[in-house]
Formats: sequence, structure tokens, C-alpha cells
Amino acid sequence: MNQTAVASNKPVNGLWFVFWVAILVYLPTLLTERTLFGIPLTNTQLLNLGLTQINLMLISMLGALSLNYLTGCAGLISIGHAAFFATGAMAAAIFDNQLGLPFPLVLLAAALAGALAGTLAGLPSLRVRGLYFVLSTLAVHYVVTYIFLEYQFKFFDVVGIPYATPQIGSIEINTPVRWYALLLPLVILVYVGLKASLKSREGRAILAMRDHELAATAMGVDVRILRLKAFGLSSAIASVAGALFAYYLSNVTSEAFNINFAIQFIAMIIIGGMGSLPGSLVGAAIWLLLPSIIGGLSPDASSENAFLSKLLVENRAQLVQLIFSILVIVFLIFAPGGVAGLGTSLKNRWTAWRNTP
Amino acid sequence: MFEQVFFSGLALGSIYGLVALGFAVIFKATDVFNFAQGMFVVCGAYLAVTAMSLLQLPFPLAIVFIVGAAALLGVLIHMVLIQPLSGRPMLSVIMLTIALSIALRSLIEIVFGPQGRSLTTPLPTGVLMLGSVRISYLHLTAALVSWVCMAGFGLFFRFTSVGLLMRASADNHEAAVVSGINVNTMNRLAWAIGSTLAAVGGLFLGQLQIASTELEGIGLLALPAVVIGGMQSIPGAIVGGLLVGIIEQMASTYISPKSSDIVIYVLLLLILMVRPWGLFGQRELGRV
Amino acid sequence: MNTVLDIQHLSVAYNRKGLALEDVSLQVPQGGIVALLGANGAGKSTLIRAVTGLLDLHHGKITDGRVHMSGQIVSGMPAHSLVRMGMGQVPEGRLVFKHLSVEDNLLVGAAVLPRAQVKAGLQAVYQLFPRLLERRNQAAGWMSGGEQQMLALGRAMIAKPKLLMVDELSLGLAPLIVIEIYKQLRVIGETMGTAMLIVEQNAHLALSFAHSAYLLQQGRVVLSGTAQEVLASPEMKVSYLGEAKAGKGTT
Repeated sequence: MNQTAVASNKPVNGLWFVFWVAILVYLPTLLTERTLFGIPLTNTQLLNLGLTQINLMLISMLGALSLNYLTGCAGLISIGHAAFFATGAMAAAIFDNQLGLPFPLVLLAAALAGALAGTLAGLPSLRVRGLYFVLSTLAVHYVVTYIFLEYQFKFFDVVGIPYATPQIGSIEINTPVRWYALLLPLVILVYVGLKASLKSREGRAILAMRDHELAATAMGVDVRILRLKAFGLSSAIASVAGALFAYYLSNVTSEAFNINFAIQFIAMIIIGGMGSLPGSLVGAAIWLLLPSIIGGLSPDASSENAFLSKLLVENRAQLVQLIFSILVIVFLIFAPGGVAGLGTSLKNRWTAWRNTP
Repeated sequence: MFEQVFFSGLALGSIYGLVALGFAVIFKATDVFNFAQGMFVVCGAYLAVTAMSLLQLPFPLAIVFIVGAAALLGVLIHMVLIQPLSGRPMLSVIMLTIALSIALRSLIEIVFGPQGRSLTTPLPTGVLMLGSVRISYLHLTAALVSWVCMAGFGLFFRFTSVGLLMRASADNHEAAVVSGINVNTMNRLAWAIGSTLAAVGGLFLGQLQIASTELEGIGLLALPAVVIGGMQSIPGAIVGGLLVGIIEQMASTYISPKSSDIVIYVLLLLILMVRPWGLFGQRELGRV
Repeated sequence: MNTVLDIQHLSVAYNRKGLALEDVSLQVPQGGIVALLGANGAGKSTLIRAVTGLLDLHHGKITDGRVHMSGQIVSGMPAHSLVRMGMGQVPEGRLVFKHLSVEDNLLVGAAVLPRAQVKAGLQAVYQLFPRLLERRNQAAGWMSGGEQQMLALGRAMIAKPKLLMVDELSLGLAPLIVIEIYKQLRVIGETMGTAMLIVEQNAHLALSFAHSAYLLQQGRVVLSGTAQEVLASPEMKVSYLGEAKAGKGTT
């Protein structure tokens, strides 16, 4: 990169930053008031999105970030991610419902519980690798969700574990806007934190471990400890996300953390791009927001085609699942780098085009 | 009482063994861990529903239909999905089969509705009394047919020319190419066999219970079965299936119905920690 | 046609890298034994892969030129079709089926034969390599390198190919065993008239065995002729000296 290019990038980067901050700050107002600078917008114009979807998306982003850190960056394939969400929910139940700790401490407890669970779950990696390790994560999933189920039945109800409205100090988090104000900084914090962690010495060792374990070991990296650390960190984040998820839904059963839940996060990081932190955000956004957008489109189509409308109304959930699974398959075959990969190759073409005389 | 549980475990285990065998064939041939094997079982059940209830075919013809359609499904999946991804990293392939299973599930629920469908076939129902043990004819037939299929496959694999070529392809891909074997054809054959065996399992499970997408969970028990028995071992897969069936029934009866899955997965974890290559596998594959 | 193998102006490139082979032409006449020589990285493996249909497997592509076998264009055909057309392959590293028995290995090679000829084919191979007969029911993976090489050879020969492609036969084998195997190869050549293309690191050994030879350097043919001509040529000496100077290169 030559000097002029660097110099010309700085003011543009600054502009982008301001732009995004403005959007993020204005978003909740836009979605709650449903007006843009005073002009009312229809549901379709707002893509059928509300703050609820955005909040769920933010929670999913935490899950996608943590999973991508584990699988995309550290190279540890795990299909048991739902187990750590369940761990967080259970920790929240224990420390809030049963022990009455304040909300911030509950989140901390969830993080610690998640770290512990993650480290334990990572132990099989000391013994087996590759496919066998993936199977161990599947087994871990079933074990943890079983524990959650038993816990739920023993201390609470078949209907589910109820969660009180979270409170920070005297402020109750009981509106979508307040949830947004809580979740957005958290996502940004985790994103920045993970990015910084990957740039650190240990983070680069983790990436090296993924790419060439033998070389990393030869450089003096203890891959076994590193793997457990990666698992611990990833699970801690997922656990916090799980606790937040439980509070957000205000009632969860073990069904919420079934294997499909875990699979969704894998789909997010595949679509977004494995190993790419920004990709995790994009993947989570697509996964959470697209169904609402599709759902918003359906009333217009129904008048034309009776078959299509039947499909969209009666079998909406299955149709969305079908579209998404096909989307994942298409990405796997044709765009294995996910959206992030497409973005990079697009950027390369743009730079190449700009640099041709 | 114990014999009762043991026998029904054995019968169910025979079906699991069949599904696990199909899984092992696919794995040995193409190195793909087919998470969609559970859905292949479901497909079998729904193919049976289509043949019997919708198309009203006579039973022998229905069997031909089910086997043919399942084999075709396996071949198509290999051609369209698996072959393009050969050589890609493991997560891609795993996720592909998972996504495939989700796609199949939603497709079936759209076409047939999310509720299960009952499946009636001319297979014998009724109960046989062996001493104090009640054995249902259906269980017996299912076990018998499963064993015949497994034995049939074993004979095919060991003693026919095509079976030899399949074994060679599974042994060393490049050597097979160099020896004049059309490895693509062998792989498609493996997938056809894998999905057909699962479909036969689905035919029985669909009648023993109900034809629904919930059967997928049962079909997925083939995974721990194969690992416990030994991933690269054909007899291991069968034994693994039998063990899983027996343990499942025992746990369901003596502990609690909900616990049967968890017992199997805990066992899976133990095996992975202590003897990852399974009961019948070979040590060289312990650290994949 | 008199030429069993006819390579015309072949150029090959691997994924995004430069040309590995450039404008290579080579002929193997009927009953002829041709040696392909050259240092590591000269392009010998690439040439073999291009002829035997294994380029795809290694992410390579023919960018120019043609390969003919007995007058038919075969460049770009998949490996299994070529074997059925009469091209026997003895690959580098032997590539036997480790978990199958010796006899099963041979039966795989015999799969292209009509049923009636299989037994005779097996007997012929066992006559050629009595050691294989001794070990007929043992798993191939347990045999020594030399025995595995004989097995690979037998597996390729059992289908009575018109053309035999042998890639780095001597790698990892004791010299005495190598000589013994080459002796058997000569017997095969004389009795069955099989044409052969031999890739061999040990140039002296190859030239004492072959009728003619080609020398590859950096993807091009720099020398060709009868075995004696090539042996005496200055380029061979340079190639050898060059190797010795650079410390015989890497494996």
C-alpha cells in the first residue's frame, strides 16, 4: 500500500465510522416510532422488522461470534454449542431465581459457569481429534441438555423456568429499547475484545494452531492448553448469551436448547464466513432477519397464487427452513468462504480494477 | 421381565444395526459422516406410506418401489451434493449432510404435513408367546429381515466382484483409480446401499411406531452405534446397533424412558475417551 | 499403429502456477522400452500423470498438445477408462490395497478380464513372482517393499496391458531386489511384447534396461535417443554432475 492510498483512506474511514454510529443510534427510534424524520413508513418498507428481531439478532451475534472464534479461528469443530447456552440459562436460574443475586453478578456467574463447562467439554480434545471430537461435542450437548431438563423438572415446572425482569441498579430492562441499549454495547464489546484477542500473541498462536498444529507445537506452543482456553472463552460468551436469551424470553424449557438450536449457529458462521468475525455478524443478521423479511413479503403474493399462499401461510416455518438449508448448501458448494469470502474477493476485484491504468 | 426387555432390545437393535450398517458403508466408501442417515430412515417410512396408502401398490411392488426410490435418492445426493464437495474440509461436509437433513425434513413436512401418518402393511401383527416372553410378530419379522439384509450385504461385500471393487476403493482411493476402478460409480453404489438399508429400517420403524419426522432421532442413534462398534468396521457397526438397541430398551425400562438417549451418549463419551476406535475398530484410526 | 504411445507437444500446468511441462513429445514403439529420466522436479511425475489420467487428482490441467494410445486420442480421459483400454499402471509408492489379501489385490486388477481368463491370469502372475504365491492370503500391507512392488506389477500385468507405465520402481527398495524386479520386467517385455515407459531415478539402471530414453529438464525434453546414445551424451553428465553439485537434491 502506497502512502497516498493510506492517507486518502483515513477521512473516508472516519466518515464510515460516524455513519454507522448514527445508524445504530437512530435505529431503535426508527423501529419503534416507525417514522423516518417524521414520515411514517409502512411495515413492508421497514422490511417487516421490529426491535424484537434486532434484539434477538444481537443475542445470536454473541452466539455466532463465540462459535466462530471456536470453530473458525481455533479450528475446533463443535456441534454442541447449544449446551453452553443452556449452561448460562441454568446459571441464571440458580443465581437469580434461587440465590437472588443482582443481574450483573448473575451474568458474571453465567460467564464463569460457561468457562468451566467449556473447559470440561474441551477435555476430549486431549484424547481425540477431528471427527471423533465432533462426536464428543454432540455427546456433551445431550448430557448438558439432559442435566438442564432434570434441573428444570426438579426445581421448577414442566412449563419451564421463569425469569424475572433484569435490573441494573434501579433501571429495569423491560422495553425493547432498553434491551437494545444493553445488548448493542455488549456485542460491540465482545467483537472488539475477540478481535484484540486474536491480534495478541496468544490469539495468533490459536490461529497458527488451527492452520498447522505441528508447526505451532514446534514453535513452543502448548496446543492442548490453548485448545482448552479457546473452548473456555467461547463457552463463557455463549453462556452469557444463553442467560440473556433466557431473560429475554422470560421463560425457557430445555426444548429451547435442542440440537437445532446449535445447528443454527453453525449455519450462521458458514453463511457469514468461517473464521471471520465480521462474517459472524453478517451471518447472524441474515439468519435472524431474513425470515421476517420473507414473512413480510407473503401477503402481497397470496392474492395471486392459491398454492403459494397456502404454502406461505400453513407451512411458513417449514418453508423458511427449507430455503435456509438450501441456502447453506448453496453457500457450501459455491461460496465456501461465506459472505466474508465473497466480500474479500469483491474487494480484491475492486482494487484491481481501480489500479489498472 | 428381563428376557422381555432383552428381546425387544435385540429386535430394535437389529433395525439399528441395519441403519448403522448403511451408515458405515457410506463412511467407509466416501469418508462422509452422513448426519442425514436419520432422515433416510424417515424417507423410507414415508416412501412406504406413499406406496401403500397413496399409490395403493400391492406389497411386493411397494417393496420394489421403496428400495428403488431410496437407492435413487442416495445416488442423486452423491452426484449433486457429495461429489462437488470431495476434498473439502470436514466441517463443510458435516454441515452439508446436516443441512440436507433439514431440507429433507422440511420438504416432507410440507408435502405430508407435520403430523405423523400411520402405516399399514400386510406384515404380520399379533404376538408370539415363547415361554413367559411376549414377542410381537412385527418385531420378529423386522429382526429377521434386518439380519437377512445384513447377511446379504456381507456376502455381497465379501464374495462378489463388485463387492471386492468396493472394498478396494474404500481401502485406497488412488490405488483404486490406478487399477481401473471407476471410483465414482463405487461411491454412488455405496450411497445407494446406505440409503436403501436406512429406508428398510424406516419401513419397519414406521410401522412399529408411526411414520413421522420424529423417527429421525431414532435413526441418528446409528451414529453412536457406529462409533461404539468401530467406525471403519462393518461387523462393528452391526454389533454397535445391537448394543444400542439393547441398552436403549434396558435404560428405558429400568431407569426412565427419557434417559435412554442420554445413557447411549454417555457411553459414547466413555468410548471416545477410553477406546476411540471402538470395540472392533483398528487402532490406527484412533487419532483422526 | 506401430507406436503404442504417442505424446505430441504436450504442455501441462498446475493450479495458478507456471507450466510444469512445455512442448513435450515422446514416442513408445510397439514392444519398446523407453526410459524417462531427469532430476526431481524436472516434470517426470507430471508427464506420467498426464498420460495416465491422474492430473485431475493433483489439480493439474493439459494446456496444449495430445496423447495418443494405439492411434486413439486419450488425453483427458479418466484413469479407469485408460486401464480398460490397455494401459497398465504401476504407480509411484506402489499403492497396494493394504487391507486386502495378495490374491484379492490381483483379482482387482483382473476385474477387467472376462471371467474365464481370471484363473489363468492369476497363475501367470504367480509363475512370474513365486513369492506372491507363498503370500497369496496375507494382507498386502504386511509385506516388504519389494514384495509390494511385485504385487503392484502383477496387478497391472494380470490384465495383459499393451502399455505398462512404471513410476519410480526403485524408490525405497534394496538394490538387489530392484535388479531382480527389472529382470522380471525384461522377461515380461520379451515374452509378452508389452511396451513400457519407465520413470526411474537411477539413470544407469534404467539405461541398461531400456531401448531408448528421454531426458527431461525443467519441463522440457532436452535429449532423446537410444539408450547408448543418451548414456554417452554430455547432457547426461551435466545432469548428473548438476545433481551431485547440488547435493543430489531433495526427495
